[in-house]
Parts: sequence; structure tokens; C-alpha cells
Amino acid sequence: MRSLKTAALLAAAALTLTACGSGDGGGDAASDGKTKLRFSYWGSDSRQKMTEQAIAAFEKKNPTIDVVGEFSDWPSYYESLATKVAAGDAPDVMTLEIRGLSEYAGRGALADLTGKVNTADLDQGVLPAGQVDGKQYAIPTGVNVFAMLANKATIEKAGEKMPDDTTWTWDEYIELSSKITKGGDGSVYGTEYTFNPAYLTIFAAQRGESFYNNGKIGITPETLKAWWANFDKLIKEKGSPDAAKMAETAAAGQEQSLIATNKGGFGMWWTNQLGAMVKSSGQELTLLRLPKAPDAQKSGLFLQPAMHWTISSKTEHPAEAQKFVDFLLNDPEAGAILLSDRGLPINSKVLAAIKDKLPPADTQSLEFIESIKSDLDAVVVPPKGGGKMEDIIRRYSEAVTSGQQTPDEAATKLLEEANAAIAG
Amino acid sequence: MVDSLSLKKPVVTAPAPQNGRRRAVNRSRRETLAAYTFLAPWFVGLIFITIGPIIASFYLSFTDYSLLEEAKWVGLDNYTKLLSEDPRFWTSLKVTAIYVVVSVPLQLGFALLLALALDRGLRGLSFYRSIYYLPSLLGGSVAIAILWRKIFGADGLVNGVLAIFGIEGTSYVNNPDTALGTLILLHVWTFGAPMVIFLAGLRQIPSSYYEAAQMDGAGVVQQFKSITLPLLTPIIFFNLVLEVIKSFQSFTQSFIVSNGTGGPTDSTLFYTLYLYTKGFKDYEMGYASAMAWVLVVIIAGLTGVNFLASKYWVFYGDSK
Repeated sequence: MRSLKTAALLAAAALTLTACGSGDGGGDAASDGKTKLRFSYWGSDSRQKMTEQAIAAFEKKNPTIDVVGEFSDWPSYYESLATKVAAGDAPDVMTLEIRGLSEYAGRGALADLTGKVNTADLDQGVLPAGQVDGKQYAIPTGVNVFAMLANKATIEKAGEKMPDDTTWTWDEYIELSSKITKGGDGSVYGTEYTFNPAYLTIFAAQRGESFYNNGKIGITPETLKAWWANFDKLIKEKGSPDAAKMAETAAAGQEQSLIATNKGGFGMWWTNQLGAMVKSSGQELTLLRLPKAPDAQKSGLFLQPAMHWTISSKTEHPAEAQKFVDFLLNDPEAGAILLSDRGLPINSKVLAAIKDKLPPADTQSLEFIESIKSDLDAVVVPPKGGGKMEDIIRRYSEAVTSGQQTPDEAATKLLEEANAAIAG
Repeated sequence: MVDSLSLKKPVVTAPAPQNGRRRAVNRSRRETLAAYTFLAPWFVGLIFITIGPIIASFYLSFTDYSLLEEAKWVGLDNYTKLLSEDPRFWTSLKVTAIYVVVSVPLQLGFALLLALALDRGLRGLSFYRSIYYLPSLLGGSVAIAILWRKIFGADGLVNGVLAIFGIEGTSYVNNPDTALGTLILLHVWTFGAPMVIFLAGLRQIPSSYYEAAQMDGAGVVQQFKSITLPLLTPIIFFNLVLEVIKSFQSFTQSFIVSNGTGGPTDSTLFYTLYLYTKGFKDYEMGYASAMAWVLVVIIAGLTGVNFLASKYWVFYGDSK
């Protein structure tokens, strides 16, 4: 009875809401006189350990504040968070990622942090990634770039050479991929592919189009069709697995990807995934710029905030919450514990202090980001409804690659649905 | 009444039954009280966790409710949008309908077939009954859904077997043409529960009917058509109603096998999965509530039709 379950959850939330509406959230002031601060985040076990350490360090410096971490795994994170917010029981400090930002900020769930948290040492170019309607509702925890991971050993074993990523085009990438498949021992593919919106964003930017433009989708049907043609060519020329197999690999998650399992030459991932990929594959992986359109003026790459720190608009302890976020962002002690787990720190002082402690993969990411710094686009905060894009893009892309829909039809429908999603 | 009755009885024996009755009354009262006390938590649960939410969801179905802010009254907007502007709603309805229409008859057919086989006085019946019942217990579970993904995946069991014959298969759960088929198969596989009910029904048919039929020279097929099937129709009807309702509400299979997306290309987008996506992923809880109520109406309607139609084919031995 899923429908009833949903209803039950809903009303449990609604009932709690009415029950707590007039109250004070109950028991925030702990009996020992400490101020209790609730902090929600998601992730792996190792992140939980790190975060608990950082919390302990903060509590040592602020003995009157008791921070309670509310940890969950990623798939259920937004569900439980939304339910808590609905119940008037929002955590004081919440971790969100960029897709969730407008959903929460646009509905008044977040406090404006402009001037509340010290941002002087932060990368000013990245701060807009936390702004909605000119207000700093969120501050990025760190940054990533969507890049091409290349397995040099696999590529060379197939008798090919590493590409020059300052000049390579999409066609060269596809051609090279199919050569790697052919030259390999039958167990490897040239590349895996992804329908990640970041890929489409970069591809469109190279053609001078931005994903969002004045409250509408700025991508043309032609660009979508050109983008899908890339996948089509890859599949036809066997540069990648077929559509069904690729869908399966994508669904199985990062650890089962071709790059992680040593079955592919290339794969597009975020720079903060490099460490995990190197670990699973046990091989040296190189970060490359994504290929370009032949006449592209720019790379289209951009710095993406890994996550955001935000504070609930309903918090009863704004000062303490701000202090905690300040600590996470600006305190070298916090930086030394968290390192690059939530993206490479955007605080230049913290980054300088921990540079030597970073694992090799993150040093590599850092060097890569520095090498492309002059050629980066500004990140765009997706508007309310932007969280649906990933699903919409994947759905129509699957329909095209599996031959269920013609690119023409899919492009029209995709844009229709995407525009409707951000209009409401 | 009690007093006047007892007065007529001999004085000596009068107190005894009177006390006894009083004690009995007291005891039954106490038992009633105890029963209600033990039931109380469940009643509280029923009111707050079931009935309350049902009423709340009815109200919410007329609102725009994102979970993150207060619900706003929008009248019938959700319902009109659902019925006139949302192609994915119709897709999910179509997918679910195909799933129900194909898998339920197949499942019941299998269940009946096996029940007939097991009813032939097989040795170790209880063993087979348990074995075949097992999938019914497991079929809706996450573990089995994951197993299904493995069996019908690109490197799964099915392709492993096909490879022996030199056939190169694809990933069946990720192919829009076959994905729903694998879910239907999963549902058919859980034929154990209706099978057990069929078995019980078969046991109810008096063997004298068959003996009489045999004497009249009826063959196995004739016996099945003229005795087993008609007498089993109430059981078939019961199973049918139950399975239609249950399979309309299927969720786990599609959620796990498609990774929560209903993919590939919405080919496994069950109604409940779409409802869940709307409520918890798209922050449209009001819309999701409206969907839940539309589902209630659909299921109630189908069950009603089922009951009406049953007049024409279900045979209750004594009613005609």
C-alpha cells in the first residue's frame, strides 16, 4: 500500500506540524545548558567519521554548543530532509547540493547568509554559485570540475596514444574510442558515456548556448540533436557498449563504471571522484579537458560546488549556526580534518595550509583545475524545478539511444517538458 | 429478568448460579475491557497513522504542497492537470495496466495448474507447497528485485545460458522492449499465495462428484470443465480481486529494478512509482496526493466491475 504509506508519511508530517506549530520545537536547549545545533549531511562512512571529528573540534572550541550530526545515505537524503522541513523540524545547518538550492531557497526554507558568515578568504568567483535572487543563501563547501578521466595503460595497450586535450574534438574522441575497442583484447571499450546534465551544459556552452537563459531553457533542438549524435556514433562504431548495457552500468553506480573496473579507456566524471576511481581500478588515471566542437571559442568547463552549507530560516540559534558554518569554511583545523572530501576547499588560506596533506588524486585535481582556470565558465544556479533536469535529460536520451524516439521528436518534447518544469 | 428467574429457584441453590452469573458477567466485562485496552494502541495507530493521513491526503490533493512551505489551496487544479496535461500520468497508467492485465491471469493460471498437479496426491505435498509458496513471501522484497536485476542484466544468468548456444543477449532490464516483461515474470513467479488458496479450494470439492462423473464415463478434461472449474469459481474470483488490487499497487519491483527511475524511457514507470517521484523528488506532494486518490477511484472502480461481472461467471454451489 504505497499510496497509503505516502499518505501516512505525509500526514504524520502534517500532524507533527500542527502539533509543533505553536511550540518552540521542543527541547532545543539541552538540560546541561548547552545550545543544541542540528546538522544534516549525507555520504559515506568515511565522511561520517571525518565530519564527527570536525564536530568534536568545533565543540572543543565552543563548549557551550552541542552539534548533533544527522547523517543519512544519499538516496534517502532529500526525502528525509523534506519531511523534517515539512514537520517544522528542520535541522539548523543543512547540507544541500546545487540542484536542491533553488528548491529550498525559493520556498523560504533558507536563511540569507549575506554578511553573516565571513567570506573574505573564499574564492569570490565561486560564491555566486550559492546565490539566489542576489542573496547568499548557501556557501559552497568546495569545488569540482566535470572532466574526462583517461586510463593511459588501457589506451596504450590498444596501440593508441593519449590525446592532446587542448585540441581534441568530439569526432576525434569518438574515433579514438572505437579504435581502442578494436585494438583491445575484447574485454575493454574505448569509453563509457553519461547523460549527466554537466556534459550537456559543457557541450552547449561550446556552441555558445547556456543551459538556462532568462527563465527558459537556452539550449536549441539542434544542439540536443548534435549531442545525441555523439552517443549514436559511439554506439554504432562500438566506441562504447550498447544502450542497454550502458544504462545498466550507469545504474550500478560509480564502482561498477568501466573506468573503475578497468574496462574502459575514457569516462566523464567529477574531479572529486578521481580518488575513488583510482582506488577501484588500481591504475593511474589522467584528468583531461572534455573534447571541443571544432569552432568552439571556449572549453565550456565550469567550477561546480560539490555541496553547499546552508542555515534553516527557522533556526532558533542563528548565531551559533553561523559560527559552525564559519568554522567549517574558514578554520584551518576543520580544513585539515575534512580535506577535499566535500570538494577542493574554496578558502585560499585553508587550501594553502592543507595542500601538502592532500592525497595524490586531489593534488592531481588541484593541478588540473589550476591549469584550466583561465578557461572556466561561471556556474549557473539552476532555477526552481531545475532538479528535474537530470531525470528529463536521461529519459529522452535513453529514448533516443535505444531507438524509441527520433531525435527530432525527443528534442521537441524534452524542451517542452524542461521549460514546463522551471516555469511552475 | 435475572432476579425474577432466580427467585423461582430453590433457596438453597439460588445463590450459587446467581453468583456464577454475576461472576460470568463480571468476567466478560473485564475481558471486554482488557480487549479494548490491548486494542487501544492499535486504534490510536489506526486513527493517527491511517485514517488521519487519509483525510489529510484528501485535503492535500486540492492544494499546492511542496513539503517545504505551507500548502496552498488550488481547488481542482491538480486533478485537471493530471488528467489533461500530464503525459507521464497516462504512461504510468498504461504501464501499470499492461502489467496487471498480463501478469495477473498468467500468475493465476500458473497457480491453478500447479495446484491441480499438487492435488493429485503427490508425495511430500507439504514440502512442495512450501517451496512454491516461498516466492510469494520473497517476491515483493528488495533482495529479490536486486536478484532480478542480476539475472536479466547484460552479464546475468540468462545471457550466460544463451552464450552457451552462441547467442549474444542484451541487458533485459535496461531494454525498453523487455524491461516490463521481466517485471511481469517476477510477478508470475510469485504464484505461491494464490496456489495455496486454490489447493484449499480443491480440497473442498467432494470426491463423490468425481466418482459419479467417472461412472457416467466423463474423462479428466470433462471432469475439470464440469466439476472442478465451476466449483472453484468463487476461489478464482477471490484470487482475482486480491491480485488485481495488489498488483495495481506494486512498487518495490519497479523501484529497485529501474533504480527508482521507472526507466528505461518510462517503460517500467508504475503508477505508484510515479506518485512517489512526484511527492518526494519533485516536491509536488499535493499533486501526488491527487494521484493517490485517483488510484483509489481506479481500484475501487475495477473491484466494483469485478464484483458486477462475477454474477455471470462465479458459481456459489447453493445459490442457483
